[in-house]
Amino acid sequence: MTPVIEVKNLKKYFSTPHGMLHAVDDVTFSIEEGKTLGVVGESGCGKSTLGRTIIHLHESTAGQIFLEGRDITRVKGKELKQAREKMQIIFQDPYSSLDSRKTIESTIREPLKVSGKYSKSEIESKTLELMNMVGIDERLRVSYPHELDGGRRQRVGIARALALNPKFVVCDEPVSALDVSIQAQALNLLKKLQMEKGFAYMFVTHDMSVVRHISDDICVMYLGQVVEKCPAKELFKMPLHPYTKALLSAIPSVDIHHPNKREILKGELTSPINPKPGCRFAARCPHATENCSQPQVQEEVSKGHFVTCCRIHEL
Amino acid sequence: MSENEVRKNVPFLSVKDLVVEYKSDGQIVHAVNGVSLSLEKGKTLGLVGETGAGKTTIAKSILRILPDVGAKIAKGSISLDGKDVLNLPENEMRKIRGNVVSMIFQDPMTALNPVQKIGDQIAEVIRLHSDEYTDFEKRAKEMLEIVGIPAERYSEYPHQFSGGMKQRVIIAIALACNPTLLLADEPTTALDVTIQAQVMDLIVDLQKKYETALLLITHDMGVVATVCDDVAVIYAGNIVEYGTKEQIFDHPTHPYTIGLFGAIPDMNEDEIWLHPIEGLPPDPTNLPQGCAFSPRCKYAADECRKEPISVYKTPDGHDCRCCRINEISTQED
Repeated sequence: MTPVIEVKNLKKYFSTPHGMLHAVDDVTFSIEEGKTLGVVGESGCGKSTLGRTIIHLHESTAGQIFLEGRDITRVKGKELKQAREKMQIIFQDPYSSLDSRKTIESTIREPLKVSGKYSKSEIESKTLELMNMVGIDERLRVSYPHELDGGRRQRVGIARALALNPKFVVCDEPVSALDVSIQAQALNLLKKLQMEKGFAYMFVTHDMSVVRHISDDICVMYLGQVVEKCPAKELFKMPLHPYTKALLSAIPSVDIHHPNKREILKGELTSPINPKPGCRFAARCPHATENCSQPQVQEEVSKGHFVTCCRIHEL
Repeated sequence: MSENEVRKNVPFLSVKDLVVEYKSDGQIVHAVNGVSLSLEKGKTLGLVGETGAGKTTIAKSILRILPDVGAKIAKGSISLDGKDVLNLPENEMRKIRGNVVSMIFQDPMTALNPVQKIGDQIAEVIRLHSDEYTDFEKRAKEMLEIVGIPAERYSEYPHQFSGGMKQRVIIAIALACNPTLLLADEPTTALDVTIQAQVMDLIVDLQKKYETALLLITHDMGVVATVCDDVAVIYAGNIVEYGTKEQIFDHPTHPYTIGLFGAIPDMNEDEIWLHPIEGLPPDPTNLPQGCAFSPRCKYAADECRKEPISVYKTPDGHDCRCCRINEISTQED
């Protein structure tokens, strides 16, 4: 089966006054229909940039992007517009990602209008259908975003992203601005829609319990690079990279009788500007040796489980 | 009983039947509706609830820093070490703020002054609030070292620091005068997990060392499980369940608390569907009659929608504001 989306050695560098910022550095993965890839990492590790680069909100620096098997890395104009219909994004912040001067109805209607595929009456009926699908009452059609709570606003963002029946959806921290009880409603909705329509999700988050719940596979990123990638359940059972281990042990457990053995990392993220060739986590890694300053190679340690760490066999 | 013995049993902080209202657009927002809680020295109370439940308003009431216009403490009392906070003159109150009670604000990105050296921001608190330290700069440098920032960075500005380091500066400011009570409003919410763990460890270490009472406001049950002694669950401005951490985590009794635990994705189970609490928190300008949670509660009956609900004792002896706890506990078992 051709994956819905595939990226090969994707890079995105930003030029800054102090040098090149390596936001996404040599990332490779693919997602099949109806599957979810979770992308986790700390703020500034390049997870959002990765999603935005794939759907062409940023221009990639190097590497390739394939949509349903077709290379779309350098598409422009009409072709780009066609590709974008199949790739959508749900943004993190339901407060700033909606136009405050547009009604709910006109926000959801906009992609349908822009596509130019539908007649006026079709747009009307589709808009209602979408509102129904994400669970927004019809009476809110002419409401403005400020009249809605965060959970409902995020539903508007979801309806807008799914309006043109995309193949691939980047979910960029879609629930982190919501309260727990509302968060579960939104996650269930995303899951239900995926089961019905077969969307491929790239789910960007820093919440480990959410990512475990929603993902089939998980990518762990550190300073622009993927340090570990494997099936979701396996990552939690058998994390291999020292950074993944630290990340998992830092999650405060709700089980008061069996608290986590916490491994507290020292130091903070180093600068992604002109990074040195070796392992980028070495500065905080409790197991770092001299070898870690050499360029690191990704290795498939067991089927589908990739780790980028030269000390993996000793640890 | 001698006077000393009486004092020993009085908690350091005690809030009784606090009611706070905001006026907005001619409507009254019922932010806090009769909250009572108490906290002893060296102990940690977790105040858990969703956005708009009234958590921050309670903390601001204790410091009396609610906005002058619009906010009103309509009822209730707050006592700190036996002093009646709500009736203290403003100049007395100023001696308490920053010195006896201090607060860590939620957002490290906006709580610091961007055009003032971070060292001076710490020194300012000491200069204004402390009788104990006369060399402000020396104490400020000491505080920087305590929170793990080299004292040489005294003269740098907030933009030169990462989020985690800014939050540590804020902690240094809050702890500079050795407060007896620390109000921490979502101190780690804006931070990444690995940095979150560092900062929480720091707060707890310093709390243990100085026997500080800590009121920790959060919506993260994991953080509560890691650091709190007692837990108060708040919904729509009312404490719905209150007990020790063990009581709340082992025997959650209020339907809202049960729902809250159920909505967290379980790290050890593989379920396709999560269990959200259906519906939305109520409009604080128009609270439902009776129990504020009743419109979302699957156990709600007629009796829940009439009178304000009183507090009942659960079998293990903690407080639960639910008139149907007997029916629920039999159903849950």
